[in-house]
Amino acid sequence: MSAIKIALVLAVALLALVSVAEAGVSFKSLNETLTVQAQIHDRATNMTFFTGLAHVGTDDMVISWALNSSFAGKDARYVNVKIRLCYAPVSQTDRGWRKTKDDLEKDKTCSKGITQQKYVPTGNTTIWRITKDVPGAVYFVRVYAVDALGTELAFGQTTDKAKTINLMEIVPISGRHVSIDIAAAVFSVFSVGSLMGFLGLEAIKQRKANSKAGHFFREAFIDTIRGQSVLREVKII
Amino acid sequence: MASRKSNESEREVGSSTGHEPVFVMSMETLGEEKNSNTSSEPTDIRGRKFPLPVDSEHKAKTIKIYSFAAPHMQTFHLSWFSFMICFFSTFAAPPLMPVIRDNLNLTKADVGNSGIASVSGSIISRLLMGTICDLVGPRYGCAILMMLTAPAVFCMPLVSTVTGFILVRFCIGFALATFVSCQFWMSSMFNSKIVGLANGTAAGWGNLGGGITQLVMPLVYGLIRHIGAENYTAWRLAFFVPGVIQTFMGLLVLTVGQDLPDGNYAELKRSGDKVKDSFQRVLWNAVSNYRMYIFALTYGYCFGVELTVDNIIAEYFYDRFDLNLQTAGIIASTFGLMNIVARPLGGVLSDLVARRFGMRGRLWNLWIIQTLGGVLCIVLGISGNLTSAIVVMLIFSFFVQAACGATFGIIPFISRRSLGVISGATGAGGNVGAVVTQALFFMKSTYSTEKGILLMGVMMVCVTMVIFLVYFPQWGGMLCPESKATEEDYYKSEWDELEQTRGLHLASLKFAENAKSERGRRVAPALVSSPEHEIRV
Repeated sequence: MSAIKIALVLAVALLALVSVAEAGVSFKSLNETLTVQAQIHDRATNMTFFTGLAHVGTDDMVISWALNSSFAGKDARYVNVKIRLCYAPVSQTDRGWRKTKDDLEKDKTCSKGITQQKYVPTGNTTIWRITKDVPGAVYFVRVYAVDALGTELAFGQTTDKAKTINLMEIVPISGRHVSIDIAAAVFSVFSVGSLMGFLGLEAIKQRKANSKAGHFFREAFIDTIRGQSVLREVKII
Repeated sequence: MASRKSNESEREVGSSTGHEPVFVMSMETLGEEKNSNTSSEPTDIRGRKFPLPVDSEHKAKTIKIYSFAAPHMQTFHLSWFSFMICFFSTFAAPPLMPVIRDNLNLTKADVGNSGIASVSGSIISRLLMGTICDLVGPRYGCAILMMLTAPAVFCMPLVSTVTGFILVRFCIGFALATFVSCQFWMSSMFNSKIVGLANGTAAGWGNLGGGITQLVMPLVYGLIRHIGAENYTAWRLAFFVPGVIQTFMGLLVLTVGQDLPDGNYAELKRSGDKVKDSFQRVLWNAVSNYRMYIFALTYGYCFGVELTVDNIIAEYFYDRFDLNLQTAGIIASTFGLMNIVARPLGGVLSDLVARRFGMRGRLWNLWIIQTLGGVLCIVLGISGNLTSAIVVMLIFSFFVQAACGATFGIIPFISRRSLGVISGATGAGGNVGAVVTQALFFMKSTYSTEKGILLMGVMMVCVTMVIFLVYFPQWGGMLCPESKATEEDYYKSEWDELEQTRGLHLASLKFAENAKSERGRRVAPALVSSPEHEIRV
């Protein structure tokens, strides 16, 4: 039963790591008061476009946001904006860890944060070099207007409600390197090779031991034959 | 006359894929013949004394956990550690799954398939390993398997597609057959009175690998990231750790290990003929015993559930409670780490209950423990709060792993002749259970992971009820009392008329005499000589 005691102590210790989760803001309650635009800037060709392929590590994303003029005056409580990269529905299918939920504490659609800026009604622009840890998927950009505590008050996004237009596909790194490939090959060959070498060595040792025994038995056999022929000569058998 | 008698009992039979019992019985008489002239301390063929007290065939009679002395304790540690590292490699991917699934763009079905692949390879390899150990010895079996699956571990850093990932996990999964070599090796080194404890401890500590990997892999990943690698490179580099350790252990086993207390298979001369039992008859005897199917099925819902949870639990905590990789790994590892005590305790509980209630007690004990495990699984699926989920998971892990230990408290009594095949089938049933639960509950996006856990618990409770169907004529079942049949009748019935006239069933009769302890308090204590420790895996 001390196992249970240990378990309970462990649980209490882990309590320290636990932060109490409160229900977050409901996304449906937010108004789309910001207009957001995002463009991919291809460094190689120095071209910018609204939708298409972006490569991590080399391409930038230029994001500009501003308050929608039809919502002027509604921005009294806005303090900051959080700019986030969000998965398009096609990248969410069969991937429960990217699921969209109304409760923003539990929502996983926009798990990658881009940056945070101070809120100004005239808006702002940011240039973001796409980092190498971004997974390969189809995205759009969403900007949340938050208050001083970080609670979401409103939002704006580059795509429509159905999340079908202005989507960007990001091409990731594979994570593989030639050096890793070579190291893996070397280690594998070592593993199999040393095994074969060891077995071969033991087989040779065995053969030597057997041949010694074999030699012994051969000698004994020859002696027996000689013995028999002697006995035949003497006409005993 | 004496030598003729020993020759008869030397024709021990029951040769099958498990093979340990054959080895126990035949070598017993062999040892007696060899050591008839030793009156002083027993020594091995090179004349060295044994550090532990040994019996007539030089198997240790006690177990000293803190010792590393050759040959017995050294073997114990080499053996369980090898098995542990194979478990480590097989379940090295799950704690890093949040990174891998983004790198390879996996869907839930892909992750599920890789989990199934990781446990299905060993279904076949475990069945084959018994024969391999019999032919070339556990030392070679263990080392060859480890060093041939190490390249699969080294291939993991190279995968870039879903198919590659699933294939590599399948190949690494073959390494779980070291369970068989571990048990076989223990049975060669430890006396039958203590082999149950040795086997149970080695199996439990081996299963630890599934827990340790959840702890270590995220830490290694974190360290490599800290050094400066990108996350998609860091997880690949982390896989070199299990690969290198596996290769190293393989070499250690080859150089330092030995098959038997006296030396290696090749060095020792095996005198005397060991008349092999007919494999067909042994197989038929197992296949026609309905209890084999029942326990293979129920083992699938304790050990199988353990394997499934090893595959999904880190990702579950990461996703549901928004923890980082390292924290999710620490929590997930506690599940596997409970194996240190839980599995051996399950076997010990089974033995304790059997002293009073016999086999009926063992059956009830197993049913209660496994059903409670199922109930706790249901509760785990419902737990939405992090603390309660952790506490429930810990208690759940205890019951699930204790059920594994308790199952193998019963297995040795199902059949004497086909113990190897039945043990192997039960073990394989465990892996099949893992495949089935993952396929049913953790593949489709229609179930969230927590719902899958809940349903898995429900299935555990339902399937475990099948233990009610088990009936031993000489001991009874859970609901029915025993009949007039005796242990001799039961174990003798495994041999047909012809075999009985040839006297092949005599070892089974010896076992039947010892198995009378399964009557519980009905038997006078004097007749009991703790035979339940005889052969237990």
